Amino acid sequence: MFAARRAAQRTFAARLYSTESPKKSLKELVAELRSHADVSPIEAGQALKASDMDVSRALLWLCNFRAESAVKKAAKVEGREANEGMIGTAVLSPGATSAKPSGVRAAMVELNCETDFVARNDLFAQLLDDIAHTAAFMSEPADSDKFFHPFSLDVLRDAPLLSKTAPEKNGKSTVADAMRDLTGRVGEKISLRRVLTVVRDPFPPSQRDIALRIASRVHQSVNNPRQGRVGNLAVLALKSPQLANILGPEAFQADLNKLCLSLGNQIIGFPTTSVRSPTGARDEEGALYDQPFAMFAGEGNDQPVQTFLRNWAAQRGLVESSEQEGGLEVLEFAKWTVAESI
Amino acid sequence: MFRPQLASRAVSRRLAGSRAASYSSSTCSRTLLRNPTRVVPPTFSHAKVGWVSRRSHYVDGLSSKYNRAKPHLNIGTIGHVDHGKTTLTAAITKVLAEQGGAMFRDYSEIDKAPEEKARGITINSAHVEYESANRHYGHIDCPGHADYIKNMITGAAQMDGAIIVVSALDGQMPQTREHLLLARQVGVKKLVVFINKIDQVEDEEMLELVDMEMRDLLSTYNFDGENTPIIMGSALAALQGQTPKIGREKILELVKACDEWLEIPPRDLDKPFLLPIEEVFSITGRGTVATGRNERGVCHKGDEVEIVGYGARIKTTLSGIEMFKKELDRGEAGDNMGVLLRGIKREQITRGQVVAAPGTIKSVSKFQAQIYILTKDEGGRYTPFTESYSPQLFVRTADITCKLGWPEGVADAAEKMVMPGDNVEMTCTLRKDVAAEIGTRFTLREGGRTVGTGIITKIIDYA
Repeated sequence: MFAARRAAQRTFAARLYSTESPKKSLKELVAELRSHADVSPIEAGQALKASDMDVSRALLWLCNFRAESAVKKAAKVEGREANEGMIGTAVLSPGATSAKPSGVRAAMVELNCETDFVARNDLFAQLLDDIAHTAAFMSEPADSDKFFHPFSLDVLRDAPLLSKTAPEKNGKSTVADAMRDLTGRVGEKISLRRVLTVVRDPFPPSQRDIALRIASRVHQSVNNPRQGRVGNLAVLALKSPQLANILGPEAFQADLNKLCLSLGNQIIGFPTTSVRSPTGARDEEGALYDQPFAMFAGEGNDQPVQTFLRNWAAQRGLVESSEQEGGLEVLEFAKWTVAESI
Repeated sequence: MFRPQLASRAVSRRLAGSRAASYSSSTCSRTLLRNPTRVVPPTFSHAKVGWVSRRSHYVDGLSSKYNRAKPHLNIGTIGHVDHGKTTLTAAITKVLAEQGGAMFRDYSEIDKAPEEKARGITINSAHVEYESANRHYGHIDCPGHADYIKNMITGAAQMDGAIIVVSALDGQMPQTREHLLLARQVGVKKLVVFINKIDQVEDEEMLELVDMEMRDLLSTYNFDGENTPIIMGSALAALQGQTPKIGREKILELVKACDEWLEIPPRDLDKPFLLPIEEVFSITGRGTVATGRNERGVCHKGDEVEIVGYGARIKTTLSGIEMFKKELDRGEAGDNMGVLLRGIKREQITRGQVVAAPGTIKSVSKFQAQIYILTKDEGGRYTPFTESYSPQLFVRTADITCKLGWPEGVADAAEKMVMPGDNVEMTCTLRKDVAAEIGTRFTLREGGRTVGTGIITKIIDYA
């Protein structure tokens, strides 16, 4: 819209300096109009006819037309079901990535459409990316034992859409407007199903021996590596008296990154439902800590995840021996699949 | 009038049954899967029952005889949900039914896209069949990208051509790009475009614009934008029998364009000779005999042939062809036969190699393929895997260990995993080379269970 208006100004300026040109054919005018705005030829033709073949007026007409037709299309698809789509993740601050204490801030969003053709399209991916970014950005730190909090869909729909990749567009429209615009473009119902966020401030100086880390992973992504048909966010805690010294070196960060990816794969790839088995029972299927860590590419992937993590922490000096508590723990995770029942 | 042909339907059902059996030995013959009887739904029945439920019965109600006189072609409709794919499909059956070339199937019948199982894999797709003056068409309509891909991999309804449906009101949509990419990916080389709903656009000039735009877009995605037929009409008008000028006549024009523009894939008989070796015998006084089922082409006694695969490339001559213990001069696709190979010792050849017309097929050691990994409900794996996973690859009669990997340029290849139910494009590095080409189907097995099935899309290394 913005681009269109700018283009309109440009054309207008150009017209002042040129003498009256001979009457152009509709095709040429459409081509000219389309070089200024991303519209289909049909729309371009309609716009030109409605504005006496004047390109700059046609551009303005298009802006209004777009908005109106998006509203109409949205009304038309209102009652339909949207069971395809993508899970998008946005990690604004992953936490312990250096010796400096830092908080965590991340979000996971499920955005639905009607066919996987649209879910694979770049426009859809862009919108989902922006919505996830907005949710992560808008969230407030919550003071509770739980890390993941559902984010109110109503609040998010009315929030201004914030984009990480194109910040110049920030605040031009709300999330709901942007979703309706996309409906106008692709003609499918676009709906927001669920959103969760995790936000924590850095720990105070008295607790400098603890740090949090976000692990995010998606599966079956198309072009955008932050989106997929299955998505997962997990919160890890690192605890050690020498934490600042250990977190600093790049070698440790590389190891930690690899571990985070493997944990994400493990949670997505197996029917994981909880971190630990319920007390007294042993749930080898669903409890992450009791599963063999098969998705870790390297030595030790026959060990249960819990044993593996303890050894991992001990080998890297977070704790003195693998019998000690602390070191590295998975605190909480969330795993979503597109269109699963909730 | 269809009643007398009841019996022949039973025969075709029986054939379908035997096809299923031949699959269980996990050979992946394209011929079997492409067999047109596979896509003959009970269109000519009066009872409106879904195809799947009907298929499970043997002889159930009226049926008609499938006529092989016309060449068969599989096509599909691809388009945006609101642009009238299903209406168009219904309209085609309606218009052709008037000429006796189809049984009318209404919108609701097609729109359901029943779940069906092809080679044990669940696919959502609606099948319709109809005949033009000189062809027989199997027509599929799937709800999503993933279903079309599964169709391609399993060969349930390999698309030889496609009709892209676009509404004149909207023109191309952002996802039209995905539609064309899909058509490319499933191996469709030629398309026909149907611009629908032209009754809602009054201005002729506008239609020219849509035409122009579609041709541009087709060229962008490497289709022949200039010559692709673009038909403008109204599927709804044809379905409701109104305004024949934009309805019925345009549907006929569309079918004619399909007849003329879309190419019939070569029949198995017309392809170069290929016999996958199943067993090898040594007959005293005569020489070495290889037996198997002739996959394609024709061979004659005295023909020069090549034995390809497992490191071999041996030239020899067919000094004899046998079937049912009788000598033949000529063997055809589909024949279970034995061939006597001149000057070949028994130890020189083995099951898994092929006897082929010289220079028609090469042995490959690494290729890229589109693979579907079966879910555990479909009998596949329970757990995901990452690259370097090494299952057994079965192609024709060959059985080779292969290593799966990601194509070059895939981000985080080391950590990327594949879960049961995924469609993936991966590379297969073979322990031993085998005769194969683009379009060859294979299955992946591990410990006696089929874990995946795929189709070769690119040859990377020849042996």
